[in-house]
Amino acid sequence: MLLASVEYARPRSLDEALSLLAANPNARALAGGQTLINVMKARIAAPELLVDLNDVPELRGIRETDDGLELGAMVTYTQLARAEEVHRERPILAEVAAQIADVQVRNRGTVGGNVCSNDPTNHLPPVLVAVGATMAIAGASGIRLVPAEEFFLGVYLTAVGPGELLTGISVPRRQGGDGFASVTIGADGTCIANAAASVNGDVRVVLGCVAATPVVVEAPSADDEAVRKAVAGAELDPPSDIHAPAEYRRQLAGVLAARAARQAREEAA
Amino acid sequence: MSEPVAQKTISVEVNGTTYEREVEARRLLVHFLRDDLDLTGTHVGCDTGNCGACSVIVDGTLLKSCMMLAIQADGASIETVEGLGADGELNPLQQAFGEHHALQCGYCTPGMLMSAKALLDENPEPTEGEIRRAIQGNICRCTGYVNIVEAIAAAAEAGR
Amino acid sequence: MTETATPTSALVVEEQETRPGFIGTSVPRKEDRRLVQGEGVFFDDVKRYGMGFVHFVRSPYAHAKIKSIDVARALELKDVYGTLTGDEVAILTDPFFEMSVPPGSEIKDYALAVGKTRFVGEPVAAVVAATRELARDAAELVEVEYEPLDPLVDARRAQDSDAPILHEDAGSNVVWEGVFDWGDWEGTVAEADRIVRIKELHFDRFSSTPLECSGCLVEFNRGTGQWTMYCNHQMPGIGAIWMAPALRVGTDKLRFVTQDIGGAFGNKICLHPYFVACCLLARKLNRPVQWTEWRTDQHTANAHGNERWFEETEVAVKADGTLLGFKTHAIDDCGAFPRYEPLGCIIWAQVTPGCYRWQNVYVDFTQVATNKSPVSPNRGYSRMQHLWFTERVIDIVANELGLDPVDVRKRNYVKADEFPWTTPNGCVYDSGDYARCLDIALELVGYDGIDKRRRDAESRGKLLGIGIGSTLDSGTNNFGQSQLLNPELQFSGNNEVATVKLDIFGEVVVTLGTVPQGQGHETTAAQVVADALGISPDDVTVRPGHDTYWNSHAGFSGTYASQFAVTGLGAVKGAVDQLAGEIRTIAAAVLGGVPEDAVVLEGGFAKLRENPEAAIPFMGIGAIVNANNAILPEEARHVTLNCRYVYVPPFEVPDTERKYGNLTLTYASQIHVCVLEVDPETGAYEIVDYAAVDDCGNRIHPQIVEGQVHGATAQALGAATHETFTYDEQGNLLTPNFYDYHVPHALDMPPLKTGYIESPSPFTSLGAKGMGEGGGAGIHAVCAALQDALRPVGNPIVYDSCNPPHRVWELISNPAESRGRISVESR
Repeated sequence: MLLASVEYARPRSLDEALSLLAANPNARALAGGQTLINVMKARIAAPELLVDLNDVPELRGIRETDDGLELGAMVTYTQLARAEEVHRERPILAEVAAQIADVQVRNRGTVGGNVCSNDPTNHLPPVLVAVGATMAIAGASGIRLVPAEEFFLGVYLTAVGPGELLTGISVPRRQGGDGFASVTIGADGTCIANAAASVNGDVRVVLGCVAATPVVVEAPSADDEAVRKAVAGAELDPPSDIHAPAEYRRQLAGVLAARAARQAREEAA
Repeated sequence: MSEPVAQKTISVEVNGTTYEREVEARRLLVHFLRDDLDLTGTHVGCDTGNCGACSVIVDGTLLKSCMMLAIQADGASIETVEGLGADGELNPLQQAFGEHHALQCGYCTPGMLMSAKALLDENPEPTEGEIRRAIQGNICRCTGYVNIVEAIAAAAEAGR
Repeated sequence: MTETATPTSALVVEEQETRPGFIGTSVPRKEDRRLVQGEGVFFDDVKRYGMGFVHFVRSPYAHAKIKSIDVARALELKDVYGTLTGDEVAILTDPFFEMSVPPGSEIKDYALAVGKTRFVGEPVAAVVAATRELARDAAELVEVEYEPLDPLVDARRAQDSDAPILHEDAGSNVVWEGVFDWGDWEGTVAEADRIVRIKELHFDRFSSTPLECSGCLVEFNRGTGQWTMYCNHQMPGIGAIWMAPALRVGTDKLRFVTQDIGGAFGNKICLHPYFVACCLLARKLNRPVQWTEWRTDQHTANAHGNERWFEETEVAVKADGTLLGFKTHAIDDCGAFPRYEPLGCIIWAQVTPGCYRWQNVYVDFTQVATNKSPVSPNRGYSRMQHLWFTERVIDIVANELGLDPVDVRKRNYVKADEFPWTTPNGCVYDSGDYARCLDIALELVGYDGIDKRRRDAESRGKLLGIGIGSTLDSGTNNFGQSQLLNPELQFSGNNEVATVKLDIFGEVVVTLGTVPQGQGHETTAAQVVADALGISPDDVTVRPGHDTYWNSHAGFSGTYASQFAVTGLGAVKGAVDQLAGEIRTIAAAVLGGVPEDAVVLEGGFAKLRENPEAAIPFMGIGAIVNANNAILPEEARHVTLNCRYVYVPPFEVPDTERKYGNLTLTYASQIHVCVLEVDPETGAYEIVDYAAVDDCGNRIHPQIVEGQVHGATAQALGAATHETFTYDEQGNLLTPNFYDYHVPHALDMPPLKTGYIESPSPFTSLGAKGMGEGGGAGIHAVCAALQDALRPVGNPIVYDSCNPPHRVWELISNPAESRGRISVESR
């Protein structure tokens, strides 16, 4: 409950934030804090410096573009769940954001924080991979773009390197249909397993909670049978924990993939 | 340029009163309220951000004060349970919680009231489902939520 | 939203008798006004000048020798006030007393680990510093060298020859063992048409996890040698009995003060090790110290409910479903230290046959220590485990013999006209009508239409199940039951205290010996006082919380074991009746020497019945006795207007040889019915309908009773669906906080329908029964409903009390595994 000593800075611009992060290898960016502050309470993480991103204007806001949406990294789940632009361009994002945790956490937790923590039980990583999002990462040498599929590298590990920041996420406009399904610990609780799907001619299903990073499964069609077969062929090796033995997660992966694909299929039709 | 600091004197308005205190950067907002300002109505029920007993409203946003640093609240305006009533009068939510027996031990109540207030501020006519979603981040171990949901519905009714 | 079967509904057996006065009405709770304003005072709200904050250094090992502890680096830190280690504790205190007979009695339990640690999270040292954060920083600098030992995690292995031994002084992991043999098991077997055998049933570890964790602020008064603890201990009577001898002082040196407590549910009974450490620190450092337990601390190292295994159960049944008897071997896991245990080895016997007319019961009971958190009483304590067992047995028998679970229950319930009913072990069930409660519950969930709903669920790919949980909430312990486990223990009976006084300006002030944690004692006590004195509850001040200084305190004082309505209010009633008599005495003297029975109390006045104009206000009576007593005639001068009453229930010491006798005074009953739908592909399930019907005799405050029913149901549903303290093989708790230990949220709770009947207890002054623990009916009902739902997919047997989705899916995917636990012998 009680944090170790830490320093705090509240930059007013992206450049300032980047230079603070670059100056101290043990600095951590503080977004909504709904994960980071908790791991600091447990003293699992003990950064020397917190760089609070709440006053960095470049990281805020949801914009409609020619191709779809631009989400600032500091967009909160509540904003994502409510924004008209999101409901217009890619409603699955709003639907999923509204299921994350609870009101208080949604008010404070951010899209950037969710993907950068890359806890395998998080909701957004599989969704963003399924919808073909692109992540913008700023560093000393400017901004580079990374497809969501290549963004997630391991448990709590992403393509955002030392001294870098995720600034925003672009999400293409929906062409076909999307879906999401999960089994959670209690209503809207932590995911035991989840799956996101996007159907637009081809069928892309992305499984969460079954590996360190989202697992992409391409299925020949969005039919239940085809999807289940594709998942079975993915030879998943999911982790076991108190909430789910590996065997159960494997079962859920197939079931949830089929359900997410069904939703996407029906939406596309 | 924003310089890193390990402590800082912050100015925070709570329930209309402005306080200035020096805080360590690591101090959680909930401990600032409880220990430094002696506003002990805001409670702590967990250490993982799950229980919601510490819920307060910061600049109009409902949040859990155990997942925000006090230093982040510099310049903010905060509402806590102590500010709900005026001059010793109970507000309609507080009144309804009593009438509907929506509290037993009363430990979750302050956070629950803040979540309910945030709901009704935004949605004066919530459905039962909306009420349940609005208090999902607040754990109560005594009531099973039955009477809490009823009380919030009654307060909404009374406020119309 | 909630549907309530109101007294006017056809669902209620008898119209509620209209009683004059406030008892039986839902007056506004006196506690609420401060609590909704954030003005309650919980222990952590109390501050003292110069106070230090305590942080415990806790063992990372489930089982390890402590080779050395070095606090030097912690003490070097600025604003660290001091430390305490197990070695100091071993010198300054004596081990806490143990209730068991050998070998359990040989266990040495201290405030901090001495020599070795026996569970993850066990405190091995403590640090005090100027801030909470700093205390934790310093605790991290305490260097402890451990030599890890093999842990014992599975209670079933505790007696294996190669099992690690936790307590070398005891030489065995057995804390207590005993055989309970009532009726004639062998004869029963001969009489039975069927013997149903159940290889193993398992009741999971969980706890009620009160939202406020434990803690205290301790001041030591050097001049008087007395400690004051502003705390949330829920049973100071027993707390003092543990602490005083350990600290080598009399109980007069220990003052417990509580005001508001954020729930306790039994989990705040065994706080004495922490409190003793804090007392030692307050004395050593000569400053107030405060210990605040955090959630992860509470889950890992305070109080769990008992985990219990039922091995090789045999049930003797007639072909028509008449239950003759059962035999089982219970293994109870009390964790690393017994503390309140082994009382749990006996307490289940309050409800030996559950709600049923079983006459022949044989239970071989063993309690063992393991390298896990110690247990303590937990809402439904020990009876809940046993009642879950009896309900599982009923449903398994019904399932295996192809009988209707409703019929089997009704055939075997104790019948309404059979009360008071004596159980095979001598307990007396006071009153009730279980079959009627079941009918009400079934009607509330629309039992008649259940087949249609089953088909409807099926059409949506879901499996619908319905299950019943019948339980008892036995209240007001006879502590003589402790002699069934250790005949040397000098405990028996029970008591509770209250004082009621009339003060100088007419104030009516009540103090209680109890330690409320949300049960509304201030309110219900005021109702009883108001009715006896003819005033309003608003005119009665009930001191919030508990304070040893009030002297309204007896050896068994506390709030536990569903007894306030009987013991607490019994004491209040006794005291206020005395006070009413004294008021009459004074009024009779002052109003012209009339007989006392000519005086009535009404509206804050003592009046002459025949001439109400002749009246004296309570204020006048208070003023005369307290400040103007020379005007009184000699025969009225003994009056103090400060009346103390000790309620003592009518118990006898049980027969320790036969383990026979009345162990509790009242038996409230709850019958629950759960309807749920299982998703067979994922094992996830949703409770779609739920009814809880309660009978706790006369209800003093219906709204409070209803609130207890809701809360007990929610806790039981949490325990049935998610809440379990699971350990890995190394003895690490895998659900150490609310992140992994999921308790029900508002969205998790199903719609609740409630109903009630009132079968007054013939044994209590108000006809009321203790209630509130609830007996875990929700756990039983969910297990039964799951088993019913899964019948079409291989008919698996539900054998755990906690069934999260993955367990349900395992039952579905491998029904043979659980089916293999059952066999039926036809005779």
